[in-house]
Amino acid sequence: MKSSSGVAVLHLTKRFGAAVAVDDLSFSVAPGEIYGLLGPNGAGKTTTLRVLAAILVPTEGRAELAGVDVARDPQGARRQLGFLTGSTGLYARLTGRELLRYFGRLHGMSDADIAARTALLARGLDLGPFLDRRCEALSTGQRQRLSVARAVLHDPAVLILDEPTVGLDVLASRFLRDFVRGERDRGKAVIFSTHYLAEAELLCNRIGLLHEGRLIAEGSPAELRARAGGASSLEEAFLRLVAALPAAPRAPAPEAAP
Amino acid sequence: MKLSDVALVAAKELRETLRDRRTLVVMVLFPLVVYPLVSLLMAQVMSSHTARGQARRSRVAVVGPLAAAEAVRARLRADAREFDAGVVAGVSRADAAADRAAVEAGALDAVAEVEAGPRGEARVRLVYDEARDESRQAHDRVGAALGGVLAPGCTPLFSLEDQSVAPRARVGGYVLSKLLPLIVVVMIMLGAFYPAIDITAGERERGTLETILSAPVGRFDLMTGKVIAVATLSTITGLLNMTSMSLTMVEGIRLVGATTPVAIPWTRAASTLIVVVPAAFLFAAVMVAIGAMARSFKEAQTLLTPVYFLCFTPSLIAGLGDWDLTAAAALVPGVNVTLLARDLILGKATAGAALLVVASTLAFGALALTLAARLYDSERLLAADEGTLPLGAWVRRLLSIRGRDDAPRTGGEAVAGASVLASTPTPGHALAVFGLGYVLLFFVFIPLQSWRLVPGLVLSEWVGLLGLVVLYARGTGQRLVDVLRVRRVPARVLAGAFLVGASAWAVIGLLAEWLAPAPPELVESLRRLVAPQGGRGLAPTLALVALTPAVCEEALFRGVILRGFAAKLPRLTSAVLTGTLFGLFHVDLWRLLPTGLLGVALSLIALEADSIVPAMLAHFVNNACLIVLVQEGAVGSAGEMSRRAQISLFAAGIAVFAAGAMLVRGKKPRAPAV
Repeated sequence: MKSSSGVAVLHLTKRFGAAVAVDDLSFSVAPGEIYGLLGPNGAGKTTTLRVLAAILVPTEGRAELAGVDVARDPQGARRQLGFLTGSTGLYARLTGRELLRYFGRLHGMSDADIAARTALLARGLDLGPFLDRRCEALSTGQRQRLSVARAVLHDPAVLILDEPTVGLDVLASRFLRDFVRGERDRGKAVIFSTHYLAEAELLCNRIGLLHEGRLIAEGSPAELRARAGGASSLEEAFLRLVAALPAAPRAPAPEAAP
Repeated sequence: MKLSDVALVAAKELRETLRDRRTLVVMVLFPLVVYPLVSLLMAQVMSSHTARGQARRSRVAVVGPLAAAEAVRARLRADAREFDAGVVAGVSRADAAADRAAVEAGALDAVAEVEAGPRGEARVRLVYDEARDESRQAHDRVGAALGGVLAPGCTPLFSLEDQSVAPRARVGGYVLSKLLPLIVVVMIMLGAFYPAIDITAGERERGTLETILSAPVGRFDLMTGKVIAVATLSTITGLLNMTSMSLTMVEGIRLVGATTPVAIPWTRAASTLIVVVPAAFLFAAVMVAIGAMARSFKEAQTLLTPVYFLCFTPSLIAGLGDWDLTAAAALVPGVNVTLLARDLILGKATAGAALLVVASTLAFGALALTLAARLYDSERLLAADEGTLPLGAWVRRLLSIRGRDDAPRTGGEAVAGASVLASTPTPGHALAVFGLGYVLLFFVFIPLQSWRLVPGLVLSEWVGLLGLVVLYARGTGQRLVDVLRVRRVPARVLAGAFLVGASAWAVIGLLAEWLAPAPPELVESLRRLVAPQGGRGLAPTLALVALTPAVCEEALFRGVILRGFAAKLPRLTSAVLTGTLFGLFHVDLWRLLPTGLLGVALSLIALEADSIVPAMLAHFVNNACLIVLVQEGAVGSAGEMSRRAQISLFAAGIAVFAAGAMLVRGKKPRAPAV
């Protein structure tokens, strides 16, 4: 275990019956770092992140968020975490303000703290015009901003973002990337999972390449390109690294259902 | 219109729908299994209840001038099955007021006040309590006994008039008690139905499940909050319906022009609040638990519809019959709240009964809530679906069209390297096989056995039940001995199973006798099966009633069904589910408890021993003991024994049962298949 305030994953394995979704995975993320978890669909990204969010229980190995073991103290781990995925929806019949108050209270925040953080995030994320509208009436971009506010309301030490830009237009994606950089600069440990390799190249300090549940390479985008024989892009590097793997028949892991 | 496109669309929609197994189950298996079952159980309950009501003799006092009263008494005494001759003969007081007081207090069912009429006929004023069922029955019986009697010349010998002693408020309460409890309970369930789906399956469908699961809130806290929300909505629905119905009844009676207005006992009606809140909690917890299993709104509706129906049935039975709220009834969910609501409206509920009903309902609700919290498990909700065997592959295997190479599927994808494996039983297989067995039972086995008992029973068990298991094994590419778990076990386990079988009949039989005694007709019909008139002999009876079910019923229940449940569920849950299905398979409300308990015990034996053999042995010994005892005339209904003898037998049975269970437990055998 490397970090007591970032993320530490050690020999993590997750099986669903006979199928292995994550296989002996180890990595760490320091505070103030964006770690990209990359791989194709079914590589085990979502399962890994769900284990880190204490939504799934690891079969073997361990994971810590800001020094809290996710298996031993799942609720403690969730308090350290801001979790945002493409599938973390919003309660359609609540207004944005009601939604933030609900999650703030679940995180044990006082009403005064919730109000102060809401005001701060409303300015930072430009939520003001729609904060008192029901979520069902919001556009995709507005919902995503509100989701971001929900995820960081309690000012967590760790941010996990799983495919957060899926379905967003160029402007909204740019906005989200800027926000993530801002959080990194505030000292947050960020895990950013995507299968858009170009996006990861723009954003991440370090990248872990996942394939069939295993970490096949790790390093900065430049290091990974160099390791793949001077590949021109991260995408090409990934394809070369996968092609270089020894063929090993194994059961395809069922990716966790959305 | 382009017919080819219409056909194409229809074919695609049918294909998609038919691939949705759960919809199919509700569309096909549910009506075929549940409706006949519920109808049959309800018919049994109602006929038994009616028989008991008819067997009760009415207590009618006849008062008035000697000659006229004696004529009435003679008529009533003539029907000793309907009237209590002692009361009819013994009361001849002139104090009608005292007799009326006795009717009001329930000491008498009715008083016939007789006086001589101007044309020689006897004028009978029948004083009764129209707010009491026994009194109404006495009223009808007296009417039938005296109404059609004519003197020579075709003039009536008796002229009748009614007079009810019940105050209007009590009559209002009586009418309300017949309708309100059932409707309120049904409305509470309906009030819970959609909110329960919305906050469970709806949450998953809207994508907010992962959002809430990543928040620092415990599963039990989460589910408790959800259940309280549903229960609150359900309570409001119940209260609104209760108020609306009471007002509608008053207005309805006014509109039909009743001369005497019916008063609603508002305080008593309001006291049914005691029932509404725990009932709402129970039904909310049950529906949230079921909703938590569903993957979508549609699937939750599919799952909850039969549950709604099954929850409704006990309330319907309770609402339709004139049942007493006994200690046993107070422990039956659905029945208890309906009966307590009725008693509260009638003003005859006791504090003890109310406390027991509320406590047991809350306890069942807490159990359902715990189950809901366990079912709302992120591993299960977010992980891929369990393995399924496509129907086409199953049929191909069954017909051996393509050998045994169709692998089971996991998460929608064939598992590489699993092609040599056969599909092992799953909970889905267990329920499907049970459903098929049940359909056969209703539409083939029962008619067969009604036609000819012995050949019908043999065919049903050996060809029907065992055949179903053989077909299942063949269809799924498994060896029969593997499906059944036919494995050698140590002599110690067999000795334990023998002891369990040798004592289960006494322990379980007495428990059933104490909690829900079977009507004499059922005891007699079972006795006739075991010891028919003209005799069958011990050996053939043992073969028919002990060996046959021990092999065939065990193969189905402790084979496919138990192994299917145990593949995914904890042992005790699997044993209880299997036992419940085993009890239901006997299609007899009065045998549900004993056969269900026996099924649980046999399932636990099979699981502990990891073999079906000791379960078969225990089943055989249990049935054999009953056969021998009945044929020897040593035992009939436990009701024939003194309470002390019953307790002694129960204590001895428990001791032997416990010794057997201890022998069965221990280091689990891992012997090769025989």
